[in-house]
Amino acid sequence: MSLRLSDRIAGAVILALAGWYWWVADGFRESFGDPVGPSAFPQMVAVPTAAFALFLIVRPDPDPKWLHFPGVWRQVATLATLLIYPLLIEPAGFPAATFLGAGALSRILGATWLGAVALGLIVGPGLWVLFDPLLGLPLPLLPKG
Amino acid sequence: METLAFLADGFAVALTPTNLALALFGCFIGTVVGALPGLGPVNGVAILIPLAFSLGLQPASAMILLTCVYYGCMYGGRISSIMLNIPGDEPAMMTCLDGHPMALQGKAPEALAISALSSFTGAILATIGLMLFAPVLVRFAIHFGPAEYFALYLLAFAAIGGVTGTNPAKTLMAAGVGLALGTIGLDPTSGTERYTFGIFHLFDGFHPIVAIVGLFAISEVLLYLEHGHEGGSKAVIVNRAFAKWSEIRQTGGAMLRGSGIGFVSGVLPGAGASLGSFMAYTLEKRWSDRGTFGKGDPRGVAAPEAGNNAAAGGALVPMLSLGVPGSGTTAVLLALLISLNIQPGPLLFQTQPDVVWGLIAALFVANVTLLVLNLPLVGVFTRILAVPMRILMPMVVMVSFVGVYSISNSTFDLFVMVGFGVLGFLFRKLEIPVVPVVLGLLLGAEMEQNYRRALSISGGDPGILFASPIAVGIYAATAVLLGIAVWFAVRKRRGPAAHEEEAIGD
Repeated sequence: MSLRLSDRIAGAVILALAGWYWWVADGFRESFGDPVGPSAFPQMVAVPTAAFALFLIVRPDPDPKWLHFPGVWRQVATLATLLIYPLLIEPAGFPAATFLGAGALSRILGATWLGAVALGLIVGPGLWVLFDPLLGLPLPLLPKG
Repeated sequence: METLAFLADGFAVALTPTNLALALFGCFIGTVVGALPGLGPVNGVAILIPLAFSLGLQPASAMILLTCVYYGCMYGGRISSIMLNIPGDEPAMMTCLDGHPMALQGKAPEALAISALSSFTGAILATIGLMLFAPVLVRFAIHFGPAEYFALYLLAFAAIGGVTGTNPAKTLMAAGVGLALGTIGLDPTSGTERYTFGIFHLFDGFHPIVAIVGLFAISEVLLYLEHGHEGGSKAVIVNRAFAKWSEIRQTGGAMLRGSGIGFVSGVLPGAGASLGSFMAYTLEKRWSDRGTFGKGDPRGVAAPEAGNNAAAGGALVPMLSLGVPGSGTTAVLLALLISLNIQPGPLLFQTQPDVVWGLIAALFVANVTLLVLNLPLVGVFTRILAVPMRILMPMVVMVSFVGVYSISNSTFDLFVMVGFGVLGFLFRKLEIPVVPVVLGLLLGAEMEQNYRRALSISGGDPGILFASPIAVGIYAATAVLLGIAVWFAVRKRRGPAAHEEEAIGD
C-alpha cells in the first residue's frame, strides 16, 4: 500500500490555492448598482474546487511513475530550451533563435550533431520565410540594434 | 424547405475559390497531422488556430479551414492506428483492435479503404443530422434567459465530468481550476483588477488559445520525451494500392449502425468522439460477433470509424446552437469562434447565418475532399509515418511558438504557453483531464456574466436561478449526470479487475 502522495500533494496545493483565491476575492470592492459584484463568482468557484481537492486528499488514486530515466534529462533539457528560446527571439532575431531552438530540441530527441544543425538551418530560416513574407505575420528578422 | 435555402446560401459561401482552397489545404494538413502518432485533432487544431487567427481570415473562412483540419485529423488518425497499432488520438483507439490485425494479414488496403468510407459515411450522416437537429434546438434555446444559460453551463461541466474522466472528482476540480484561471484579468462589469498582481499583460486575462496550445501541444511533447520510443520503423508495408470490393461491401450495415450510435453520443454534452467510437465498437461486437472481432473483422473497423466521425459531427450540435461544446476539439473550435468575436448560441443562427451554414456546407465539402484525397493518396500518407520524431517534434514546437507569438507579438504569452504546458503535463500525469480546464477558461466569463445578469434582473435574489421550469429541468439533468458519473466511479473503484467494457456496456 503506497502512500499515494501525488494526488494528496496535488489536492493540498489546489486546496491552499482555492483558499487563497477565496480570500483575495473577499477583498474586491462592490460597485454601485451591481447587486452581485466582482467577488461573488470567484468565491462560488472556490468552494467546490476546494471540496474536490479535499476529496483528492482523502481518496487519492494510485501514484503515476514520475521519473523515467533517462527521459527525465530530456524533459529538463527541453523545458530549459522552451524557456530560453522566447528570451532569444527579440534580441537575436527569429531565424537565429529558431535555428538554436529547433537544433537543440532535435539533438535532445536523438539527432546527431550534424542532423540537429541541418534541421535548425532548415527550420529557422524556413519558418521565417513561410510566415513573414509569405503569410504576412511579422517576425523579427535581425537582432535588435 | 427553409433549410435547403439556407444550405444553398451556405454552399455559396463554401464554394468560393478562396474557401475551397482553404478547405483543400486544411484537409491535407489535417490528415498529415492526424496520421502522425500522438498528434490528434485537438493538437492539430490547437497548433493551427493561432495561424488562422493571425492571418486575418474572415470568420467563415477561418472556421472552414479549421473544421477541415479537424476532420482531416479524424481521417488521418486511423492511418497510424491501422499501420502502427498506435492510435493517432484517443477516439482512434478502437480502430486499432481490428484494423491492425487486418493490416498484419496483408489486408491493409482494405482496412484503410473501409475506414475512409466509414469515416465518410459517419461524417456525412452526422452533418445531415446537425442540419436537421441544430435548428430545432435553436428554436427551443431562443427562450433561454441568463438563469437558463447559467444552468446550462453547470450542465456542461457536469456532463464533461461524468463521461470523459475516470475520476469525476478530478474532472470537476479541473473545471474549477479552469474557471478560476478564467477570472484573472479586469472584471468587465466593474473594472476591478482580479488576480493580476498589477502585471499589465494579465489585464486581458489568459488568451484561451495560448492556454490551449500549451495544455495540449507542449504537454504532449513533454509526455513524449518520457518514453521517447522511435515510431516509424514498425509500419506494415503496403504492397497493393487498391482494395478488394468484396471485403468492403459486407461492412455497410456496421457503418450505418456506427453512425447512428456515434451521432447520439456526440450530441450528448461532454461525451465526444471517444465515447462514440467505443459504443459503436462495443455494440457492433454484440450485434455481429462470430468470434472474429479483434482478429481483423472488417466490421470492427467500420463501426468505430463511422462512430467517431459521426460523434465529431454530433458534437457540433450543442456547440453551435447552445455555445456549449460537446468534446475537447469542439471546445477548441469554440475558442476560435470567441477569438473571432463570434459567440455561438441560438442568436448565431439569426445574426450570422453565413457562418453557420457556410460551415455546414464546408463539412460536406471537407468530407468529399477527404474521401477523394484519401483513397488514392493513402500511400503518401502512410509514408509520413516514417518521419522520425527528432525532425517532427521540433517543428511542432516551433510552429506552436510562431502561432502564439503572432497573436500578441509578446514574449510574455510564450512563457504563459510554456507554463500551461507544464501544468498540462502535471495534470495528465495525475490523470486530471485538461479539457475541463479549457472549458472553464472559455465558458467562465459568459457563465459569470449570465449569473450577474440574472441577479441584477431579480435585484439580488438568487431565487431567480431556479424560477423557470426550463432551468429546473436543466438542474435535474445535471444532477442525474453527476449521479451516473459517481455511480460509474464507485463501481470502477470497487472492482478494479472488472473489464472497462462491462462497466459502460451494461
